[in-house]
Amino acid sequence: MNSFLFLIPRFADAILVTLEVSVVAAFIGALGGFVLNALRLRFPRLLGALYRIYIWLVRGTPYLSQLVIVYFGLPVIGVTMTAVQATIVSLAIYSAAYFAEIFRAGWASIPSGHMEAARAFGIDRWSAFRSIELPQAIAFVMPLLANQTILVIKESAVASIITVPELTMTASDIVSSTYTYIGPYAMLIICYWLLTQCVAVAFKWASVLIAPSRKTS
Amino acid sequence: MSSLPILELRAVGKSYGANRVLKGIDLTVQRGEIVSLIGPSGSGKTTALRCMNFLEAYDEGEVWIKGQLLGYRSAGRAERDLDSEKSIADVRRPVSMVFQQFNLWPHMTVLGNVAAPLVLSKKADKGDAYKQALAALKRVGLVEKAHAYPASLSGGQQQRVGIARALAIEPEVMLLDEPTSALDPELVEEVLSVIRSLAQDGMTMVMVTHEMSFAAKISDHVVFMEAGKIVEAGPPEQLFGNTRTPRLQQFLKPWFDRSLTSVAGVE
Repeated sequence: MNSFLFLIPRFADAILVTLEVSVVAAFIGALGGFVLNALRLRFPRLLGALYRIYIWLVRGTPYLSQLVIVYFGLPVIGVTMTAVQATIVSLAIYSAAYFAEIFRAGWASIPSGHMEAARAFGIDRWSAFRSIELPQAIAFVMPLLANQTILVIKESAVASIITVPELTMTASDIVSSTYTYIGPYAMLIICYWLLTQCVAVAFKWASVLIAPSRKTS
Repeated sequence: MSSLPILELRAVGKSYGANRVLKGIDLTVQRGEIVSLIGPSGSGKTTALRCMNFLEAYDEGEVWIKGQLLGYRSAGRAERDLDSEKSIADVRRPVSMVFQQFNLWPHMTVLGNVAAPLVLSKKADKGDAYKQALAALKRVGLVEKAHAYPASLSGGQQQRVGIARALAIEPEVMLLDEPTSALDPELVEEVLSVIRSLAQDGMTMVMVTHEMSFAAKISDHVVFMEAGKIVEAGPPEQLFGNTRTPRLQQFLKPWFDRSLTSVAGVE
């Protein structure tokens, strides 16, 4: 028990690193995914193919390879980043593909009649996007966004291989210096669990705030 | 005296790939007229209606709204350029629509739905828009539901909201696409009576419908379509009374049979 308590300060530092890296990356990724989907909707012919290639590449390859390209590959062309920066950038690029697909699903969930009615009543595209599609799509995607954010938190563990002092690296460090397994890994599990629970609860609140009285048909 | 028709279709055609669903439709709608499109499923009547406000881009002929060409930059038969979205919206402005599936926006209240076209197309300031929306709701008898959400209303009430939304923009012609087809039978009458009251107020309407008795009573002009063509068009007395078109006689037979039975049942 004593050795367990002794772990807390190091994990407290590490949980903040994981939180920072994954929340910033998920935020940028979600924003990027939203923009990707919006551009695809607005310019289907021009950008539809580019969008599909992006999704195809990012979703079709492991996150580890993307991290390695950003951290070890980009310096070759003169772009150097710290380990934390490289993690945030690569994780944002990676999650943006998934977030974009989530927003695509959100927009696909809106019956085509809603936009037909908007057109028939002379509502321009931007107003319809903002006032008719967006509120419905956001309500639809909230649980999916929570899901994806949780996945980003867990995927950030991969950053341990480029020495980002986040949870997984901290646990491995302690294991290799003390040769105890149960304590550090139990702590690791608890920390991830705490983080993901916080995200789940935060999104639940946000969903309620967004749609206080809405009745779905 | 020949005034400019409010809506005019000249040889309008539409194809989906090799499938030509409209084969040259001619139709003139004068102010104050009520025109009903009838015909079997797949005859193209809904497509024809949707070409009248360019929800469906027709690819032959012309649609004129108050003397302005809808959808294209120039008339004529050859390759044509689509008009800009803004010009299309401007030309279709006098036209509003009621949909078979209502197409209300579920995240907005009833009042929000009716006011949205005015607010979002910036045709009125917010206060005026809500006043106009309330007036429209009054006409369909649903003021007390102004702050309810569509999902809490019956189908008939939802369609009346759809009609209020179409009225609020103060249209000069209303397109109604099978306004009662998605309703339970006992809810049909409340919607028809709203449409009847609009007719009494002189609203110009083009309606696709399967309610034959209603079409017979309310219309100035009935158009029978089949396979993308107008087979017969004229006053209701002609089409429902003494048509000589065998296909129309056959189409109307079930309706005649039913009316005769119900008359016999009453007596």
